Amino acid sequence: MQVFKVCFKVIQKNLPQMFIYLGIFLVLSIALTSLGGGSTNTDFTQTKIRIAFINNDKDSTLIDGFKEYLSKNTTIIDLPDNREKLQDALFFRQVDYIIRVPAGYTQSFLDGTNVQLEKTIIPGSMSAIYIDFLANQYFSTAKLYSNNIPNISDTELVESISKSLALTTKVEVNNFGSKAAETSSVTYYFAYFAYSLFAIVILGVTSFMMVFNDVDLKKRNLSSPIKASKMNLQMILGNLTFVLGVWLIMIIFGFILYGNGILNPNGLLMCLNSLILALVSLSVSFLVGLLIKSRGAQAAMANVLTLGLCFISGVFVPQFLLGKTVLTIASFTPTYWYIKANNAIASIVTFNSENILPIIYSMLIQLGFAIAILAVALVVTKQKRVSKGA
Amino acid sequence: MFSHIFVNRLKCIIRDKEMMFWTLLFPILLATLFNMAFSNLSSNEKFDIINIAVVDSDQYQNDIYFKNILSSISDSDEIANSDDMFKVNTTTKEQADDLLKNNKVSGYLTYDNGIKLVVKESGLNQTIIKSFLDDYIVTSSAVNTIISNNPNAMNEGLLTDLENRQNYLNDVPAGKANPDTTLNYFYTLIAMCCLYGGFMGMKEITAIQANLSAQGARINLVPTHKLKIFGYSLCAATAIQFLSILVVMAYLSFVLKIDFGKQTGLILLTCLVGCFTGVSFGTFIGAVIKKGEGIKTAVLISSTMALAFLSGMMMAEMKYIVMESAPIMAYLNPANLITDAFYSLYFFDSYNRFFLNIGLLIGFTIIFYSLTYITLRRQKYASI
Repeated sequence: MQVFKVCFKVIQKNLPQMFIYLGIFLVLSIALTSLGGGSTNTDFTQTKIRIAFINNDKDSTLIDGFKEYLSKNTTIIDLPDNREKLQDALFFRQVDYIIRVPAGYTQSFLDGTNVQLEKTIIPGSMSAIYIDFLANQYFSTAKLYSNNIPNISDTELVESISKSLALTTKVEVNNFGSKAAETSSVTYYFAYFAYSLFAIVILGVTSFMMVFNDVDLKKRNLSSPIKASKMNLQMILGNLTFVLGVWLIMIIFGFILYGNGILNPNGLLMCLNSLILALVSLSVSFLVGLLIKSRGAQAAMANVLTLGLCFISGVFVPQFLLGKTVLTIASFTPTYWYIKANNAIASIVTFNSENILPIIYSMLIQLGFAIAILAVALVVTKQKRVSKGA
Repeated sequence: MFSHIFVNRLKCIIRDKEMMFWTLLFPILLATLFNMAFSNLSSNEKFDIINIAVVDSDQYQNDIYFKNILSSISDSDEIANSDDMFKVNTTTKEQADDLLKNNKVSGYLTYDNGIKLVVKESGLNQTIIKSFLDDYIVTSSAVNTIISNNPNAMNEGLLTDLENRQNYLNDVPAGKANPDTTLNYFYTLIAMCCLYGGFMGMKEITAIQANLSAQGARINLVPTHKLKIFGYSLCAATAIQFLSILVVMAYLSFVLKIDFGKQTGLILLTCLVGCFTGVSFGTFIGAVIKKGEGIKTAVLISSTMALAFLSGMMMAEMKYIVMESAPIMAYLNPANLITDAFYSLYFFDSYNRFFLNIGLLIGFTIIFYSLTYITLRRQKYASI
């Protein structure tokens, strides 16, 4: 088993680099665990947009009532009245909408002159339309009362408005036995899994292959008393052990982080899906290992390939946020099918053939990629052997 | 003398394929990936007409007032307006359920002791539909209250008030351009690119230090002042770095159409200052850290990545979080200063913050070079 042992000596030398990728993965997953929320809501929860509210007018019951009404339907973020701070907050989406009550607004509203509130929005956004709607609703109702009930006092006015505005529509939630996908932290965990798995496996397998593909070393090896077939078998075994080891370590981390989140049919299916991806990453690395010659090229290839695959196929940015063209291009990559299967698994509530079949197809396509890439790699090996006579 | 060293260092750098990959090709590749992945990101917040269904019933057909206001903001009157919020399907209960199940509509309305909204999940679309329905109930209740208080209201203009709903809001633009958060990703990419110029600075240190390369040992023997040789080589490094940034910038603005604003002169100034800072950052790391090249590269890459992360390269909110919770960190981070310079040029109408960023970057360059100078000067070797 000399060859097999060498595998692990090479990998041991590259451990620090691999730990970096494992570290990135863990930090991301832990960060995301705190973000992920529950996904099977049977109650309707109103979406609360974050807004900034600035009052340049003096305090009045009308404006207080307005702010009260907004705070029920939105989240008001406290921001100082400083132009740059407000711009920063809007650009980085700390708030989606800034509303400013100009000086003298209450008086002119009650007098019937049309002074307008100032809004600063993200042009064309959904939140802008929604908050416009809320604000107009409040002041239209106020106007109705103040125009049509003569001599209504301020307090009465605000009371009547808030009484009216407290009325709300009945909402029923019917989720048809499935839940919104891509929200749980386990789903995110398995998405980022693809990035780190690819990075680590490419680094490990190519380091090892570069050693064995050195022409002089290869010539020496071929003249040794070990049969070529035996040597190849040991190499394959070594690589497989390595890949399965990496996969297992990452799955164990998953268990530690999420426990029961993984120990259910959905979680176990995701594990299976990731195991298939591990095989794909092995055959990709095998091909890359044949094509590169230097350490520099290895770092370049590992980075470009993993980042490239992950960016376009929905590992970093969820698939539903990617453009159509990008997704079409991505469908020629194995990671796309991995993420697609992962999302599909996440949304299953009842297991039936209608739900499971697409997932099995996605898995089979990944296996197809693994076999196709391996076939290309074997052709390359053959060609190299012929051309170099080694 | 100058031209001799300058030209030869240029050649040395350009022929270093690995370095040219990281400083030129890698940013271009990453920018392409960013562009592919983020081009659709803002569509998530963009307003699209919301599809809804209404379950047809006698009650609905007879509720003329509701039908009126629904048609005023939807296409149910078969006139599609640009300010429509909803697209309405009038269906049977089963069809509505089916549409909802297949995500063809965000929700449907049905009469069950008043109007009821049925949805599949909570979200902003659903919230908007609900607030529209709330508005209808609120207005009806307001009308009832008014009539009970003032029975003559109907004749005194309540109806006209109901019909003429005003707009109470006036749009004030946020800055001089569209607040598009995705731009920040590209700005941090340029910042990362500038700091990757550190590879070149580090290469120059290796080339001039007697204990780091044979070439350095030879150079230390010549009668020319070391500072001169080093200065000339740095000019070459900065020139190449500036050129590759220009190529990346050209790719970003002409091929990917990333918006940097209109002040071309100031944008180029930011690139140039960024290059100076990047190269000086590399010489600083190269001079101060006394370990092997592998360690130096690792320190350069990981510190650049950490600084880029804090300026929002992986998530744009990060930049805001740092600015709010630890403003000092934002000002001590060269990557953030470069990003912020581009951002303030693009978004702000005043130049104060831009020039503050540029000033701080120049300050950093001076500090990095001074520290490098202090470390390099008068080094003598008993044996190498």
